[in-house]
Amino acid sequence: MQQPQQVVSGHGVNLFQDTQNALGLYLHIPFCFHKCHYCDFYSIVDSATRHEDRQQHFTDALISELLTANDKSPLKVRTIFVGGGTPTLLQPKFWHQIFQTLHKIVDFSSLDEFTVEANPETVTDELMRLFAQNGVNRISIGAQSFDQSLLKVLERWHDPQNVSKAMNIARNAGIRYINLDMIFAIPSQTMDRLNADLDAVLDLQPDHISDYSLIFEPNTPLTQKRNMGLIQPIKEDIERDMFEHVITRLSQAGYDHYEISNWAKKTQANQDLPVWGNRCLHNLLYWHNANWLGFGPSAASHMNGHRWKNLPHLGKYIEGSPIPPTIDHEYLKQHDRIGEQLMMLLRLREGVSTAWIKKHIPDSDVRHQTIKELRDINMLEIRDNYLRLTDQGLFVGDAVIARLL
Amino acid sequence: MKIRNFCIIAHIDHGKSTLADRLLASTGAVTKREEREQTLDSMDLERERGITIKASSVSVMHHYEGEDYMLNFIDTPGHVDFHYEVSRALQACEGAILVVDSAQGVEAQTVANAYLAIESDLEMIPVINKIDLPGARPEEIALETEQVLGLPADECIFTSAKTGAGITELLDAICARLPDPSPRKSGDEAPKSDDEKTRALIFDAKYDDYRGVVVYFRLFGGKLKVGDKIRMMGTKRGFAVGELGKFKPKMTRQKEPMLAGEVGYMVASIKTLADVNIGDTITLDNDPAECALPGYQEPHPMVFCDFYPSGETQFDDLREAVTKLHINDASFTYQPTNSEALGSGFRCGFLGMLHMDIIQERLEREGNVSLVQTAPTVTYEIEQRDGTVFEITNPADLPDPSLIKEIREPMITAEIITPNKSIGDLMKLCDQRRGEYKKQQYLSETRQILDYELPLAETIYDFYDKLKSITSGYGTMDYQLNGFRRDNLVKMDILVNGTRVDALSVIVHRDKAEYRGRVLLKRLKQEIDRHLFEIPLQAAIGGKIIARETIKSVGKNVTAKCYGGDVTRKRKLLEKQKKGKERMKRVGTVDIPQEAFMAVLDTGE
Ligand code: SF4
Repeated sequence: MQQPQQVVSGHGVNLFQDTQNALGLYLHIPFCFHKCHYCDFYSIVDSATRHEDRQQHFTDALISELLTANDKSPLKVRTIFVGGGTPTLLQPKFWHQIFQTLHKIVDFSSLDEFTVEANPETVTDELMRLFAQNGVNRISIGAQSFDQSLLKVLERWHDPQNVSKAMNIARNAGIRYINLDMIFAIPSQTMDRLNADLDAVLDLQPDHISDYSLIFEPNTPLTQKRNMGLIQPIKEDIERDMFEHVITRLSQAGYDHYEISNWAKKTQANQDLPVWGNRCLHNLLYWHNANWLGFGPSAASHMNGHRWKNLPHLGKYIEGSPIPPTIDHEYLKQHDRIGEQLMMLLRLREGVSTAWIKKHIPDSDVRHQTIKELRDINMLEIRDNYLRLTDQGLFVGDAVIARLL
Repeated sequence: MKIRNFCIIAHIDHGKSTLADRLLASTGAVTKREEREQTLDSMDLERERGITIKASSVSVMHHYEGEDYMLNFIDTPGHVDFHYEVSRALQACEGAILVVDSAQGVEAQTVANAYLAIESDLEMIPVINKIDLPGARPEEIALETEQVLGLPADECIFTSAKTGAGITELLDAICARLPDPSPRKSGDEAPKSDDEKTRALIFDAKYDDYRGVVVYFRLFGGKLKVGDKIRMMGTKRGFAVGELGKFKPKMTRQKEPMLAGEVGYMVASIKTLADVNIGDTITLDNDPAECALPGYQEPHPMVFCDFYPSGETQFDDLREAVTKLHINDASFTYQPTNSEALGSGFRCGFLGMLHMDIIQERLEREGNVSLVQTAPTVTYEIEQRDGTVFEITNPADLPDPSLIKEIREPMITAEIITPNKSIGDLMKLCDQRRGEYKKQQYLSETRQILDYELPLAETIYDFYDKLKSITSGYGTMDYQLNGFRRDNLVKMDILVNGTRVDALSVIVHRDKAEYRGRVLLKRLKQEIDRHLFEIPLQAAIGGKIIARETIKSVGKNVTAKCYGGDVTRKRKLLEKQKKGKERMKRVGTVDIPQEAFMAVLDTGE
């Protein structure tokens, strides 16, 4: 049997040549049937049947907003990512309308990746076929854990059994890439239970795995519970051990750790895959600071150094249609922009090329000194002409990167 | 017209300001509306802290037994650190009103200030104030005053600044009991002929943005008028009088000459406070007196600390802030200094801890700078084996131990007034602080006066707070400096990540060094954030490590999620981490917060 080998490397490959135009679209669907306790994404509780009007109004507004991006010639974007919320909560007829619009404004021939986030409970054959017919080639399923009691801690309502069912449905419908979202360091989780979760994930052999350590975001019920002492966060050193364990097991199982929390199944020489393999191109686009446009309430955009966000408010989004209210406009000074880029690129395991550093960081910048210091204490290293977090630096990536902002 | 010059001395919250306001109001000098403001306190900061830092004077008129009296009231601060301002105000008066709270009774500061007044031969009027309070025991307190200060109980006037009770009686007593101004002070060695000459004592000076330096003086003999060429007898500098006036209580110019016995202010194109010596005598250039009035010694600063710029503040900003403040307030000293760890800054000298806090706050507030302040230390006297003797104000300046014959430290005599039941605990505190018991004196059935000799260094930080908590707030303390004494003192160095941090060096008693070292490192460990690497902390005497601690490195600090495309949010989160660091001082590769530099003060009690 042929050993899985990595033919894909970001090194030296410039994935995003076009630096002027939008290369990605992000659509935010702000509905969920229930609010998970750790979640701080913008979404409102919705049951499709009871709130059909609202879904219709949202869809209308989203379509109008998409049409504002319409150009003389169709947009040559590389990726579309529909996130949420729970996009699969949207009724098929609304999906239909959205697809129609997308086909009108986007040149699908240049599209490489089209992802939709899905809740395992809402993956139906009908929807997946509709997706596949309309160019969706990647589904990201929020599994989080396969342990019923850990899901309960997160107040995440789905049956773990349904994850594999959802994967089968999607694959059978012709969806090429499947990602599973996982969370570790959930209160009351032990190493054994983490292993059980990893066993379950690896058993399903998704093409891509995002495994996040649980974050206590401000203003979430989970954080409140922690503050009230009702739940005990996992201790820092155990969390670190868990992270290390996740890294070790996933790489042993043939997954390439390409970003702090992201793993792509290694490709084999005989596989007919693009140069980025099973990695998520849309996320790579964020990390490489390419341009993208966001649609829907709370969606963020980036165009040539300008960043902004739609107001996270469904009512105002619909009211303001077709141009929604925006917030957090930002255009950074050159110095800060370099910091931001370093922040993004260093999240990638390959890091940032020394050529890029030479080109963008002036000699007078104290960052050179800081980089040296961080290399001295083995937080950063240079490997194959790339500056990257060391295996050790990875665990404290934020603290390392903060010094370079 | 007769003149009475007096001051009010009181413990810090025994109602001096309200009494002063009441006196002014009764003489009609202040309208009802103005009365609401505490007229004599001017700076916000002083008011916030409920204390008066700068002495100033007010002149009002009072009619008594068919005669007009000009009452010149010279204000005094009420805090331990500001003795020197009390004593210089006393120099300008013939009388003093001693205010005692009718519920609290005599306090340590009352005693200390009363003794100062007695030494200066001032006539005293004891006043038992706040008699409107429910807990008032005026008769009892009057007896206490007699017992401790020897002021006859039946001479006490009972007042309530709040209701106005006794105020007229007090004004009358000022006229009746205080002496006329004299052309000479006690201890004056001037020839008789000088009584006719112009001699004015400078008892205060302030800086005003429009007028420059405003000098407060008490004229003992002769006259002064606008246009006079004057000479400062101490500094031998000459000026021309540009403006004369009084505070009534508003600054009021006067055209007529100032006469012997009067109190007023003058403006004479003096650029900075450094050009004026408080206690100096002003005389006329063309008809000078022979002898200056008995001198008044500017106090030596005894507590020192360094200020370094931090955050966005640059050394130049700090220099500007320090020099500007010094023009306004010459009570502190400063000189440039350099620390291996903290870079360029200023070493400043203060009269006490409170004084230091006030200056630091004013620098930050008025100069708009952000500071790192090192722990305060006292002056040490070093005698080397070769016989040379010198003072150091910074432990880092201590010469090599092999050169040192002995180290002497400044001592204080502390007078503590305390409820009987706290005596045991207080004595324990004083013993812990290397105090030497002097005497114990009965004050009343419930209170005693305790005298101790203590090293100043042991009292500059939390001694007063401890005293307050032991005595549930009832204890009070006052102190006088009392020379230097040798002891078994050593310098303890602190090494952070293997590097000696000079700003953390401290001089300690050898017997207490291990203990202090451990406490200090524990504190440092709490104050310094975990870094990306392990940080060893060590305390050392000479080359010998006497205590150690380790700050573990950060275990995990990486946000997994990248928030969809919300890059801004992510960046702002990380920037917060970074901002926190910027307010710290970088020593080698370790970021040390301001609080850590104060760790050396933790006595671990
Ligand atoms: S499904 Fe996702 S978006 Fe919805 S509440 Fe749960 S975590 Fe948040």
